[in-house]
Amino acid sequence: MAVNWADRVSAFSRSPSRFLSGTTAEAFLAELLRELRDDRASYSVKVLLLSPLCEHPTVLCPSRSVGEETALELMSVFAQCPPKSAQFRCHILLALTSVLVCTSCVSGRSRASQDFLDLLLQIAQDNSDLHGDGALRSVRATACDCLRELEACSPGLLSQRLELLSGLRQREASRLHQAYAGLHSLVLRNAVYQLTQETGAGAEHLKALLGGNTSVSWEADSGQTNNKDSAILSSLILGPMGTVPTLQTGPDCKELRTVLSSLLEESYLLTPLCQAALLHRLTEVVAMVPGVPPAVFRAQLLRLLGTSEVCLLHATLLMKCAFTDSLFSVEDEAFILKRLVVLSQHPLLTTPEKLFYMDCILHFPENRPISCGDGDETLPVLLTARLASALVPTVFNDSATMLARLNLLSLVYLEEGEEGEEGRGLAYLYEHLTSLLHIVENGGSREIVVTFFRAAFLFLLYFCHVERFSNNLTEKLCKLYLRHTYLAPHLINLADQTQDKLTESNWAVGLLKALQGVITEAPLAQLTLQDLSWHLKMLARVAEEGDIPQRSTLSFLSSVITPSSSSLCVSGNWRLGNSLLGVCRRLLVHPSLDSLLIPLADVLQHLTCRYGDTDIQDHARLYYTLLTTLSREKLAGVLAQGLTEGGRQVKKRTLSCIMAEGEGLTSLLTIQQTEKAIFRLTEAHPEPREETQSDKQRDLNQTETESGPGEAKAALEAYRAQFDDPSFASEITLNYQLAHIEPVNPHFDQLFSIRLHFNLTDDHYEELSDISVPCLFRERSPPKVRLRLKPRRPYPTTLHASAIFTTQDGLSWLTVLPDIHVAFQQAFMSPPAPPAWGRGGRLSLFEGLWDEISSEGGETDPADSATSLFCCQLKEAALIALMEKHFLPYLISDLSDEEEFKVLFFLPPQSHVLLKIRSEEDAVHFNIATDNWQLLPHISSYLLTITSSQEDTHS
Amino acid sequence: MSVRALWIISHEKGENVSLRFSRRFATVEHRAKSLAASSYIPVPEERTVLQLLLTELGLSDSDKSYVALRDDCLHRQRSPALELHVDSPAKGILWPVLAISQGPLILACLPLVDAPAEPRPPLASLLSVSQGLTLLAGLQTFLLGSGGKPDNEGLASRLLMLPSVLLQVCPLGTPLDVPLLAAPATPTVPTPAGNQKQPAWKTGLHRGRAVVNVALIETVRSMQYGNRSRQDLWDVYGTVTCKCEVEGVLPNVTVTLTLPSIGSPLQDILVHPCVTSLDSSILTASSVDSYDGSAFSGPYKFPFSPPLEPFRLCSYTSQVPVPPILGSYQLKEEENQLRVSVTLKLHESVKNSFEYCEAHLPFFNRDQMGVVDMKVSSGQLDVAKEKNLLVWGLGQKFPKSREVTMEGKISFSGPAPGPTDPLCTELTAYIKLYFKVPDMTLSGCCVDQHSVQVYSSAKPRIVTSRELLSKEYFIWNSTGTAPVSSGQMML
Repeated sequence: MAVNWADRVSAFSRSPSRFLSGTTAEAFLAELLRELRDDRASYSVKVLLLSPLCEHPTVLCPSRSVGEETALELMSVFAQCPPKSAQFRCHILLALTSVLVCTSCVSGRSRASQDFLDLLLQIAQDNSDLHGDGALRSVRATACDCLRELEACSPGLLSQRLELLSGLRQREASRLHQAYAGLHSLVLRNAVYQLTQETGAGAEHLKALLGGNTSVSWEADSGQTNNKDSAILSSLILGPMGTVPTLQTGPDCKELRTVLSSLLEESYLLTPLCQAALLHRLTEVVAMVPGVPPAVFRAQLLRLLGTSEVCLLHATLLMKCAFTDSLFSVEDEAFILKRLVVLSQHPLLTTPEKLFYMDCILHFPENRPISCGDGDETLPVLLTARLASALVPTVFNDSATMLARLNLLSLVYLEEGEEGEEGRGLAYLYEHLTSLLHIVENGGSREIVVTFFRAAFLFLLYFCHVERFSNNLTEKLCKLYLRHTYLAPHLINLADQTQDKLTESNWAVGLLKALQGVITEAPLAQLTLQDLSWHLKMLARVAEEGDIPQRSTLSFLSSVITPSSSSLCVSGNWRLGNSLLGVCRRLLVHPSLDSLLIPLADVLQHLTCRYGDTDIQDHARLYYTLLTTLSREKLAGVLAQGLTEGGRQVKKRTLSCIMAEGEGLTSLLTIQQTEKAIFRLTEAHPEPREETQSDKQRDLNQTETESGPGEAKAALEAYRAQFDDPSFASEITLNYQLAHIEPVNPHFDQLFSIRLHFNLTDDHYEELSDISVPCLFRERSPPKVRLRLKPRRPYPTTLHASAIFTTQDGLSWLTVLPDIHVAFQQAFMSPPAPPAWGRGGRLSLFEGLWDEISSEGGETDPADSATSLFCCQLKEAALIALMEKHFLPYLISDLSDEEEFKVLFFLPPQSHVLLKIRSEEDAVHFNIATDNWQLLPHISSYLLTITSSQEDTHS
Repeated sequence: MSVRALWIISHEKGENVSLRFSRRFATVEHRAKSLAASSYIPVPEERTVLQLLLTELGLSDSDKSYVALRDDCLHRQRSPALELHVDSPAKGILWPVLAISQGPLILACLPLVDAPAEPRPPLASLLSVSQGLTLLAGLQTFLLGSGGKPDNEGLASRLLMLPSVLLQVCPLGTPLDVPLLAAPATPTVPTPAGNQKQPAWKTGLHRGRAVVNVALIETVRSMQYGNRSRQDLWDVYGTVTCKCEVEGVLPNVTVTLTLPSIGSPLQDILVHPCVTSLDSSILTASSVDSYDGSAFSGPYKFPFSPPLEPFRLCSYTSQVPVPPILGSYQLKEEENQLRVSVTLKLHESVKNSFEYCEAHLPFFNRDQMGVVDMKVSSGQLDVAKEKNLLVWGLGQKFPKSREVTMEGKISFSGPAPGPTDPLCTELTAYIKLYFKVPDMTLSGCCVDQHSVQVYSSAKPRIVTSRELLSKEYFIWNSTGTAPVSSGQMML
């Protein structure tokens, strides 16, 4: 099957990691090599197959041994490739170079790399293509390039072949001499460098090296020793601080001079790129050998100084850096600098070239440098304000050019000082800045806006101390802001950066204060919601400054939200509310909080009550609570965290951020889920039923009246009448405690704003509303939670519970609580008899109900009524205990009346269970009557449970 | 002196971005790793590079007005080298990324830093930077053509040629040459065996009749304010382009530029690398120097050995005493209309024979034009109402008086708003002149046909030409505030 190699290879290059997730490097390499050996594949495809090896050799050959094997494979492919497929042969050579170099086979002098080196040298020496066509020659050119790259990556590799390479270069008359020259000059440079590292090496050694005399003993291993040192890879011309290793030869280095002048003579025949590289290599060589005067370059200089090629002039500048006044006179220096100024604004050059030349001015290689040249931008002494005036920035420049010019001219005028005539330069720069500002004001593009702020930053960086300008800039920026409030992030960024970089300056604070002024004083009538949102962002930043009084901010907030017509509050826009709170939040930690207390509280309270979004209300309430209950120190402690830890640069996912930052909301609003349950609801002990006791007392005092059937009926009617109100006695209240589950992760020791949510698992109850708990601290007593259940059918049920809460660090969490099981007996209530009734009344009610259920003729639907009997073995004492433990609140008869206990359970909404409990000889009989037969199975299982447990305890 | 990677990206104003070509040079990367040691930052995968590059160039998220990563005022956008803030696989800054952008194409490369990584070396100390710039510019010209006009099909086919082009010009990350635009049209033959080495920049040898073509083009730019407090500005620069079809491996040709006796010297001369030698006096005059009158004023001799393809032999600038056309532009706001008054005067030294001459009067930040009631003393007026543009065609000649005028009123009562411009608000407005005058130069510089010397056996045919071209020739309304274009005059 044909594989689309173009697609596969391009998929690999796009993302090797993703590509290899579908296969392995080993398999892909094997595939590539197999296809390369396949005679049926076309050479154009094979060229394509080599590109992964060229571009990502270490991905495909992760070890030296794989590299070695791959190289041997490639070499055999090369050997079998017909000479006329020149392009493919070239690409194999490139692939081999990449594989062998990158898998360290070359530096390790492996077998394959030695073979490859021999192959390359053989190709390089074979000039049988002289009369053939150019395509064949390209293999030779590529071989030279590969040799040069091998030497570049393993300096010294070819040191012993210097004479051979020199000969090849001189012999070559075709265009290929360029490739040989590049190779020769690099090998020469590396060989001389190695000599400089040898103690005692001198003219003789140099001569031997150039003569290809390899018998000199030290040479054998020199290539190896220097390999590990990357210094040889580095350029030797590094400015005034760089030191060049030198080789002391004395004045007699005829051989080297001959080689140099031959290379230089022919340099004209090289392309500008190769010429520049050659000149640089030779500059390094001459710099290392003081015996050769830099004057060897002089013949080339005029040609180079007049060049229009950036790389040639650059090579010349580097030459100047290396040789300073031993090659360049003072006039030369002045000329070169003028030339750089001219080139920095030349109409025929491209923008990157001009920027590069400006960079060269700021790192000008002076003959007598004053500064230590530590990489900082410095002005050359010869660059006068007059000269530099050719580079003044204008509004017609592109952004980068304009900024580069502004930077350079700022340096110039900074040096000149603002006194006297020279002050005009600075005035011009400021005028320029204001022109940019006007363009921004008139609706300049995004690029111009960004450029303007960069220019403003640069200007301030240099001239912040010149108050007449920096103050005026503040004013202008304020005006600009009022016209284009969307510039708020730019202004904040400018304030932030000037504050960071100009630590001794107060400008940023001044700007923010002025912005606060214009925002709070502007007429509210024209304020749009969009403007307001930017204003709030800005005021939030202003509020971060402890030195800026915040009263006006507060009165602004207040005037925005308090009028009854405030559309803001009505709209309930969450983002705006959030921005409002963002300002408030920062005010809460503002050093002048004491004086802001009341107005801030007013604002927060207003938000709490009036803002049209619950979330905002809640948070405002929280802030209000914090503000009014915590001491200042504590408040700062709680709220400052987000600020002090992260500062404004880092966006932390904190409560403060939720409140304060409008951006990145999606990530901030993510509620995280706890891994395990953090807390649970446990059943609390029922509150002591005082009234039961008093009932008893009352009952005791009352006369015992035997209730007749007529009375019972009346009692029942009165009782039933109460249920005409459907909400009457329809709820059961269950008491729980919210408590941590041990062991507790200390992170969750203190929890705030807990919102409990319940889900039903069946339809026996009405939906529950959420319950809020302000806080849960581990060391404090657990808060009480009252669950109000409204049964449709009073059956046992299970509730799923979850909670959202906030930890101390401001993160929001979701946790799932253990399920809550509501037992059947938890729905039991005393019958909601009218309070005035004594025991007698209730007894009448009991009898009435009992009769009605038993008679099957009453008001209750006979279909629902049922009676039943439950029996069990219980001793008398156990029965009493059972009564006291489980039935006391529902006991209608007297506990002392041991003959028959009458128990009445009411289960909302309208069910009753009546028990007559009597000890017979063989067992205790529970006579059951209910007006809801569906409760029977629950009753019997309940009775079974309590009676069996009673048996256990008493056996 | 090498680059670690190369990327070519196409986009449409930040949209539809795609990486059209990329090349990593593994051996250079290997060197980068040794050189940078612990501070080595590998080149991330393509998608990441693309995204970081667009952010750095300010092209990402074009729908958002502020993106901190992109718009921070601290960014050093003023350098030709960008920083890419890489997060993975290692966190650090990839520097110095060079990028050049023209039309829909962005070309970028990462030069090798062959210097200790800390502290960061100045760009000027890295030869690989200027080499990278040269390579990128060469590739850009190859891909877009010298006109720089994008053409999708042409671009696609050129991109397909890149692998074999790179094999020639940058096989292992070390740039050797820039790609040739096209094979020379004239037949060439391979090098004969001989002692004279063939220049590496010459792909073959010319066979046939010797022809030397020298074209001199002068370009004039101007900013005229018509305001006493602000001096008018103009400058002139010239380029000499040659096409030489001459036999021989290294033939010698000399072109000489001459000035009239009263002409001011040619300044800022830049020469093509094929120029073999230069007289130091040719280079001394500079536009940033004060002219002391004693400077060398020619003849300017340029001996060179020509490449096969056309090339720019040299360029210069010149300070001429007067602009070729002096204009005055006055606008007056009158109720709902604008009163326009324009005068253009052709200087007497300029040949009154144009190939074309047009004045464009754009109006920005106004409603579209309604009634245009204009009178011109000469030429023809075209009104492009939807563009709010008046085009005044002056034809081939100014009238005998060498002065033309335009008077009238425009009401801006059109149905829709016209084009906007943040610079040209209120009465800030300009006239832009487009003209070309054949067979003349402002500086007076010329290439005499007889001064072209070709040292070869056959007598060559020599063709010379010259012309004057306008570019960025602005005349600002003197009743409005014109933007300052250069501080030179006021300092």
